[in-house]
Amino acid sequence: MVFKELDPILHSQLRLAVISLLISVKEAEFTFIKEKTNASAGNLSVQVNKLKEAGYIDVVKQFKDNYPQTTCKITPAGVTAFEKYVKNLQTYLHR
Amino acid sequence: MDNNDVVLTPQESLQLIESMINRAKDKFAENGQLYLLWGWMVFACSLLQFILLHFFHSPYHYTVWMLSWVLAVYQIWYMRKTKGKQKVRTYTDYIISYVWLTFIIVIFLIAYLIGRLTTGEYYSHINPIVLAMYGMPVFLSGIILRFRPLIIGGIGCWILCILTTFITNYEYQFLMIPLAMIIAWIIPGYLLRARYKEENS
Repeated sequence: MVFKELDPILHSQLRLAVISLLISVKEAEFTFIKEKTNASAGNLSVQVNKLKEAGYIDVVKQFKDNYPQTTCKITPAGVTAFEKYVKNLQTYLHR
Repeated sequence: MDNNDVVLTPQESLQLIESMINRAKDKFAENGQLYLLWGWMVFACSLLQFILLHFFHSPYHYTVWMLSWVLAVYQIWYMRKTKGKQKVRTYTDYIISYVWLTFIIVIFLIAYLIGRLTTGEYYSHINPIVLAMYGMPVFLSGIILRFRPLIIGGIGCWILCILTTFITNYEYQFLMIPLAMIIAWIIPGYLLRARYKEENS
C-alpha cells in the first residue's frame, strides 16, 4: 500500500473543519462557521483566506442592513480536493 | 479550535470531518410560518367563496382570491426579512424553495390553460385539478424534510382530488379545498412550528 500525500491546505484542523462544514451546506455565513468551529474570528479569517486563495471556497462580502456580511461557499475545485483528501486518508486507515 | 500546529492523525481527520458534517445538519430551519399563513388564507377564501356561491349566488364569488395578492406581497417582505437573518443555507432549504417555485409556476400555467383550452363548465374541473397540484409540493417537502405529517397531508390532497370528481354538485366541491388545507397545510404547519420551537429552544 502506498501512502498518498495529504493535501497540506486541507490537512490542518481548522481548514479541514471549515471545508467539512461547507461540503454539507449550500452556503454559510462567517458567523455560522465561527460558531460551529469555536474558532476566533482572527484565526478563522486567516484560514478562510488561505482556502479562498487555493480556490477551494468562494467568499462574498456584502452589506446587509448596514452590517457587513461574509458568506462562504465551497467551489467545485474544493469538492474535488476534499474527495481526494478523504480518498488519500483511506490509504492510511486500511493498514 | 485555534491551534494550527496540531498535526492530525488520519483517524483524527476523519473524526473531525464527521463531527463537522453532523454539526451542519443539526439545525431544523422550517418553522411552519408560511404553511400556516397560506393554509389559513386559502381556507378562509375557499370557504367564503362557497358561501358567496351557495347562499348568495354571487357571480363575483371568485373575487375573494384577490386577497392572495396582498398575502403574496407580505410573503416577499417576510422572505427578505428572514433571508437576512439566516446564517446558513442548506441544500434542503435550496431544493424546497425550488419545489414551491415550481408549484407556483405550474398552478399559474394550469389556471391559464383551463381558461384558454376548456369551454363550457370549466369551473367544474378546477377543484380536482387544484387538489392534485396542492398535494405535490406538500408531499415532496415531507419527503425532503423527512416529516411524516406533510407526507400524509400530500397523499390526503390526492385522495380528496379523486373524491371531488364524484361530487356532482360542483358547488360542494369547493368545500374540499378548506378540508385539504386543514390536513395538508394547517395541521403540518402547527406540527412544524412545534418541532422548530423544540429544536431551536
